[in-house]
Amino acid sequence: MRLILTVIQARPLWLALALACASTYSLQAKDVAPPPGIPPEKVADFVHAVLDADRTIYTNQVVNRMQAKGIVSAAEHWEHENALPLPAQFLQHSGKLVAESGRGIRYRLISLWPIYQRNAPATDLERRALESFSQTPDRPFTGIVTSGRKQYFQAIYSDRAISAACVKCHNSHPLSPKRDFALNDVMGGMTITIPLD
Amino acid sequence: MTNPSGSFSNALGWGLKRKLIVSMLMVGVVPLLLGLSLAFLQGSKEIQVVSGESFQALATEAARKLDLLVAEEVARTSRIAVHPDIVRALEHRRDALHASDPNATLPALAQQRARWAARDPAAIKAITGNSTALLLQGFYAGSQSEPDQLLPQVVRAATKKLFITDVQGNLFAALTAKPGFSHADSPWWKGSFNKGVGQLYIEDLHFDEQANAYVFSISLPIMDSLRYEVVGVLHRVIDAKEFFSPSTHPIRFGKTGHVMLIDSRGMVLSCPILPTGVQLSSAALIPQVTVRQPGWVTADSDGHGGQGTAIIGFAPLPETSRATNGALENGAWHTFVWQSSDELFTPIRHLMMWMMILAGIALGLLATLGYFAASRIVTPVRRLQEAARLIGRGELQEPIQIHTGDELEELAVEFNRMNTQLEAAFAGLSTQVEEKTQEVQYLQKSTDQVLDAVPTPIIMIDQQGLVQYMNRASRDAIQPQEQRWSGRLLFDLLPLDDDHRQALRRDLRLVEENKSTAPPSSNQEPLLKEARDPLNQTLSQASPSTRRELQIGSHLYHYEWFPLESRSGAGKRFGLVLRDTTDESRLQDQLIQAEKSGSLDVLTAGIGHELNNPLFGILGLGEAIQEEADLARAKGYAQDIVGHGRKMAAIIRDFTGVAARESKSQRMSVDVTAQLEQALAIVQTSHDCLGLNVQKHYVAVSPVTALPDQLRLAFINILTNAVQAMSGRGDLWLTTEELNDLITITIRDNGPGIPKQHLGKVFDPFYTTKGQGEGSGLGLTVAQRLIKKFGGEIRLESPEGQGTTCVITLPADKAGVRKEEPCVSS
Repeated sequence: MRLILTVIQARPLWLALALACASTYSLQAKDVAPPPGIPPEKVADFVHAVLDADRTIYTNQVVNRMQAKGIVSAAEHWEHENALPLPAQFLQHSGKLVAESGRGIRYRLISLWPIYQRNAPATDLERRALESFSQTPDRPFTGIVTSGRKQYFQAIYSDRAISAACVKCHNSHPLSPKRDFALNDVMGGMTITIPLD
Repeated sequence: MTNPSGSFSNALGWGLKRKLIVSMLMVGVVPLLLGLSLAFLQGSKEIQVVSGESFQALATEAARKLDLLVAEEVARTSRIAVHPDIVRALEHRRDALHASDPNATLPALAQQRARWAARDPAAIKAITGNSTALLLQGFYAGSQSEPDQLLPQVVRAATKKLFITDVQGNLFAALTAKPGFSHADSPWWKGSFNKGVGQLYIEDLHFDEQANAYVFSISLPIMDSLRYEVVGVLHRVIDAKEFFSPSTHPIRFGKTGHVMLIDSRGMVLSCPILPTGVQLSSAALIPQVTVRQPGWVTADSDGHGGQGTAIIGFAPLPETSRATNGALENGAWHTFVWQSSDELFTPIRHLMMWMMILAGIALGLLATLGYFAASRIVTPVRRLQEAARLIGRGELQEPIQIHTGDELEELAVEFNRMNTQLEAAFAGLSTQVEEKTQEVQYLQKSTDQVLDAVPTPIIMIDQQGLVQYMNRASRDAIQPQEQRWSGRLLFDLLPLDDDHRQALRRDLRLVEENKSTAPPSSNQEPLLKEARDPLNQTLSQASPSTRRELQIGSHLYHYEWFPLESRSGAGKRFGLVLRDTTDESRLQDQLIQAEKSGSLDVLTAGIGHELNNPLFGILGLGEAIQEEADLARAKGYAQDIVGHGRKMAAIIRDFTGVAARESKSQRMSVDVTAQLEQALAIVQTSHDCLGLNVQKHYVAVSPVTALPDQLRLAFINILTNAVQAMSGRGDLWLTTEELNDLITITIRDNGPGIPKQHLGKVFDPFYTTKGQGEGSGLGLTVAQRLIKKFGGEIRLESPEGQGTTCVITLPADKAGVRKEEPCVSS
């Protein structure tokens, strides 16, 4: 709880920092000196905490309750079935909205066993992070990655099957490559990417 | 059964048979039709529901299949998009564009575009021959793919364009020279680039002129190696028909049932029947089938140009629809499952047809069986009807033969029984009628004979006076010359003078008014009796009119009307009896004459006899006196002569007393009892009455008006008669009493009585049972005359062997009442 409050209070700070970093980077061009202020690990940690809390609230207080009361259930094709989006979809769609807002920070869910190939790990860092979660699931995996000349900070947090809906969907989806998930298993990770340039 | 059927018909002309058949048919047809139509309606509805649900399931399944097909294709395409070399090349391009001065690059770009448009081989080569283009070709040809990820031949053939743009939307690499150079303004590019975030963009169906086909496109953003931002767009244009038809066309059921794919505008992406690119024929149908949820509808149009009820199942492609036009909200793709309603309803129509045929056969059977059944019912009924008619006429000869074993047979049995009883009754009746008729005829004949044999004319008339019957006597009497008498008026027939005719009419009226016309029959008897009394003159004769007599020819008739029994309703009838009194009256006249002369003879003889004895006595005494010297003795003789003379005088006085005229002034109030006592004393002195025992029972009675001597004489005569009858010994009862102003004197003896045959004659003059000279035969006659003269009556009762009772009644004279002590002596 303290953490969430911290993150919320830190959000304006973080935004200011991100803008400051971007401007500094663009001004100083190829200067690799670490930016002052809050380190990106911290920022990613904040963001992850917010996202995780939001999704948990959505999962427990909306989806699970609605399903338990039989009012409405969650389904992959919720648009066609008068259903709620799955918690994973909730995160992905909010990520898309964040990306489309042009703020620079992006996050997405990745897995070694993605239903859709677009959610497979894109970089070596991501792959290694996902592989590391089998041993140390609770430790985020961070690193600097480049795309051409662009540099980004990436933090990958392990993502567990937090509700039965996650397990059920991944175990039954026709495109799912792995079908033996159990509740609370690490199903993949959440990548938070923060541009450094 | 030869009756015309018309005799059984009612107003509609429907006989029982037809009614029965029609009833049976109605009983069969109505439930049949009702059942068939219900079955048809329910069947149709259920077929709709079942078909709709099947179509929906099929549409959903087809949608999933097509969705996977598209997803697979997207995945296959995305493999190109994530190829590291391509990503790296585009990252370099991005970085180059980012680093260079926009003012310097713009003219270069414009030049490059112009050269591409001009088909400059160098420019084309720069695009289609660079390393990325070679990679594309490798993917297209399969050399770059893993063996299991080879582009299927169909997909390869369907791929009309395949190219990559850079981050600015300009052509970066292409398989062929067909694509345009700049795409930054294309919706697909914008949608796929999506502000650098990138997203799958599947373009709706449209006609591509370069490919000369209806196509759709898949635009995949090529992300940088971090998948952070878009560095290029992979665009692939696919011929919709070629791509989808292998998947949709095999799904066929029946002759017309199929699956097709449409986009949200109703454009056909793939259909086994409709060409790709046309819109559904009914615009109204499109919103019904392009909803987000799978379902089925009963629409008025099938979308293929056919009108009429169509059942359509539909389902959206769930995953693909998310990417169509960038978002679900911008339109989705839907499967559309449809089967021609003609074909759809063919089974139930066939079923209906078969049921109708079977129903027709059933109805035919029903009608045939109904005909036979009705015949079986109606035939005995008709026979019964005919039998009833024959019975009514009394012509049924043979018993009805019906062996149906049901109520009709029982009815026939009852009919037969009824007929038998009727016949018996009728036979008895006719015999009786015959007998009665014969009897009547016999009676009539005998009556006629009797009436004809009666010599008395008898005529019967009706109320109008028309003659209905005349017996032979009347025919002979009235009109021997006339033959026609029937129907003529009686009064015309009778040759009468007016007096008689009126008298006749008057009597008829009396009879008519039911007034007693008791004929004064007593008139005639007294007439005859009186005629026997030569001393009593016949009083004035009744007039002919009152005597009911009429003169026809030489005959005199006494007539009599009498009412006749008449039939009810008919007028009254009367009969007229004529009694021929011609002979009778002549005879009577002769009789009267004879009686008169006979009585005179008797009278003369009687008088002579009575007078002879004293006369001979006188003569003898006179002779004796002549010879008698003795004076004394002569005086004695003379005295005897005087006595005889007195006796003779008395006799003569008696006669004259009978006949004498007396004035009423001489009458006086007389005490009856005193006169009776005096008379008894006289009788007792003049007769030998030693053995007579007189019993008197007198009451005080009122006096009567009479001549005392004559009344006494009457008593003397009666008492003398009684004493003589008892020969002077026996009992004599004398009684007086008064009742209702009548004084009754009863004198009873216990003598031998009077034989019945003589009882009627005792009052006749000179009738006597005594020997000649013993009685004059005038005693009772005189007594009767006297009593009658005083207004009284006398009668003799003589039960044989019990003596004789003489009852005298006299009217009491209330004026001179004289009381007297009742005197009873024995």
